Amino acid sequence: MTSILCPEIPNAGFSFENCKRNTLLQSKGLSLPKATKTGTTIVGIQIKDGIVLGADTRATEDTTVADKNCEKIHYIAPNIYCCGAGTAADTEMSTQMISSQLALHSLYTNRQVRVCTANMMLKQYLFRYQGYIGAALILGGVDSTGPHLYQIYPHGSTDKLPFTTMGSGSLAAMAVFESRWKPDMEETEGIQLVRDAIAAGIFNDLGSGSNVDICVIRKSGVDYKRTYEEANKKGTRQNSYRYPRGATAVLSTKIQNIEIETTVQHIEPMDTA
Amino acid sequence: MSILTYNGGAMLAMKGDGCVSIAADKRYGIQMQTVGTNFQKIFEMGPHLYVGLPGLATDTQTVMEKIRFRKNLYELRENRKISPKVMASMLSNMLYEKRFGPFFVEPIVAGLDPVTYEPFICNMDLIGCINKPDEFVVGGTASAQLYGMCESVWEPNLGPDDLFETTSQALMNAFDRDAISGWGAVVYIIEKDKVTIKDLKTRMD
Amino acid sequence: MATERYSFSLTTFSPSGKLVQIEYALAAVAAGAPSVGIKASNGIVIATENKHKSILYEEHSVHKVEMVTDHIGMVYSGMGPDYRLLVKQARKMAQQYYLVYREPIPTVQLVQRVAAVMQEYTQSGGVRPFGVSLLICGWDNNRPYLFQCDPSGAYFAWKATAMGKNYINGKQFLEKRFSEDLELDDAVHTAILTLKESFEGQLTADNIEVGICDQNGFRRLEPSHVKDYLANIP
Repeated sequence: MTSILCPEIPNAGFSFENCKRNTLLQSKGLSLPKATKTGTTIVGIQIKDGIVLGADTRATEDTTVADKNCEKIHYIAPNIYCCGAGTAADTEMSTQMISSQLALHSLYTNRQVRVCTANMMLKQYLFRYQGYIGAALILGGVDSTGPHLYQIYPHGSTDKLPFTTMGSGSLAAMAVFESRWKPDMEETEGIQLVRDAIAAGIFNDLGSGSNVDICVIRKSGVDYKRTYEEANKKGTRQNSYRYPRGATAVLSTKIQNIEIETTVQHIEPMDTA
Repeated sequence: MSILTYNGGAMLAMKGDGCVSIAADKRYGIQMQTVGTNFQKIFEMGPHLYVGLPGLATDTQTVMEKIRFRKNLYELRENRKISPKVMASMLSNMLYEKRFGPFFVEPIVAGLDPVTYEPFICNMDLIGCINKPDEFVVGGTASAQLYGMCESVWEPNLGPDDLFETTSQALMNAFDRDAISGWGAVVYIIEKDKVTIKDLKTRMD
Repeated sequence: MATERYSFSLTTFSPSGKLVQIEYALAAVAAGAPSVGIKASNGIVIATENKHKSILYEEHSVHKVEMVTDHIGMVYSGMGPDYRLLVKQARKMAQQYYLVYREPIPTVQLVQRVAAVMQEYTQSGGVRPFGVSLLICGWDNNRPYLFQCDPSGAYFAWKATAMGKNYINGKQFLEKRFSEDLELDDAVHTAILTLKESFEGQLTADNIEVGICDQNGFRRLEPSHVKDYLANIP
């Protein structure tokens, strides 16, 4: 599409124009800053005729909590969702991009997309970048061939599993699954198990925290329970620390008025004759 | 020392009742040496829209030019004002494009929707991961101190006057504990019918 | 346009100042199957004839009414293969817009971009203009939109229009029938009537295609649904 006639459409793909400068800065002894990580406990299980995905909602920047309620279960297609762990921007952007490609695929083929297609596209994309795109994913969905659950590593290797966990809290969550998961669970039982696994991550892994998000996918539809449970309620504040007006010393004030367009509608009296 | 702390700077934005605030310090330094005390890092991108770019000063200005270019093209093409939400997505995409050779800025977008006047704030990391909380966002070298201040002084439904005091005090008390930010501050209170820009009197050490 | 030999544009001015290639393209459109679009108060309808030359043809396997994105759809008069390329481009542009701005593409924007592609093919080397006119309908901003895109890259906003074979009669028919407060159901009815005007033979659910767009988005009507509308037509 990019041509001389339509120059406003930028080149596709990553740009490496800053790389040389950044390595120079690095060689002068300045360290490269860290990007936001999700920390994360993410899990997925297969239940009877469906999939339950779960995630915590903490994002960290080094040891600081950058986001207390972020969304880690990403939309892929109407019948497929995907949990993401690792570099937050990578999980967000790669799922968005694959979601977009699958939307096109579904329009071209006039069909609902299959989970194995989404898995293939994600793994090929991640493999191409040799692990530099730091996205660890749990992909789950229901298609014409039934429910499927995949685990995808940043380097592009995948597994098809009945239950799986990923992220820094994966060990805590896996302990729950290993002891309690069984085939063909009912929905309520499955949700409870996923909640317990995420809660294990939230309370035992420092990279995970805040709330539990759950997404149930069945043939009949998706039930995305954003903030299924607030695992850590913030205490109510006992006192107000509001500063009195005028507490701040101001040197100068400038006011920019904004003209707001309002339309005055003249209403004709109703004809009652 | 990290590249993000080369020039220093502190910034925050808060949501109020029908209004938003965005504030930053004015220091421009090279590591521990202060070079200027009137450095702009919050930029007007529309009557109700401001973008703050704390981080490496050279990238603050480069990124500002780039988003202003894209915003102007968008507004000409679509014949409407850009909304804060769209601005955030556009900026996030621009930063992610440079995933493997990033700009060293952690932007903050604050404003009111041009149609509904709904308050909007968000910040992102240097590769464009958006964070959209309901309360406040912070950025720059004093972010740890700012998180502490904001968590204790922010409260819901603050009017423009109270929002100004809360924002200013959170910012000033935070950067007083950060050696490489401070030296004056500027606060923008964005309301439906006006934007109030106030320069604060701060410690100059 | 790799080879030097063909790197000139085939669309060149005639001494009288006309671009005859574009006029030929419009002739290809005017010879194509008719299609209609009508804007109603609560939605838009687009419809076209999908007549088959042989009874051996497998119906409902190749579509002429296509969805671009959730809230935009299109149809064409002219050459099918050219149309499919534009559909592909339009879908890509809609997705691209959504990825960058996280907002569904406004219909006007999509139309402008599709028109830019069509224009490019009138000025680039080694290519010919598209042999299609498009009808693009969309719902955004809480209102319906209907546009026509021509091979030249020109685009028009219509309340109702007809393209393809017998389009002059079709337009005249619509001018008589159109009213501003038409409801979507009536618009579908009128659209089918307009197709019927120039149709040779019996209209059935198997030889026309209808797409509608309202606040719930765009969808192509199932043949059974089209049949219900046809039942009300004398």
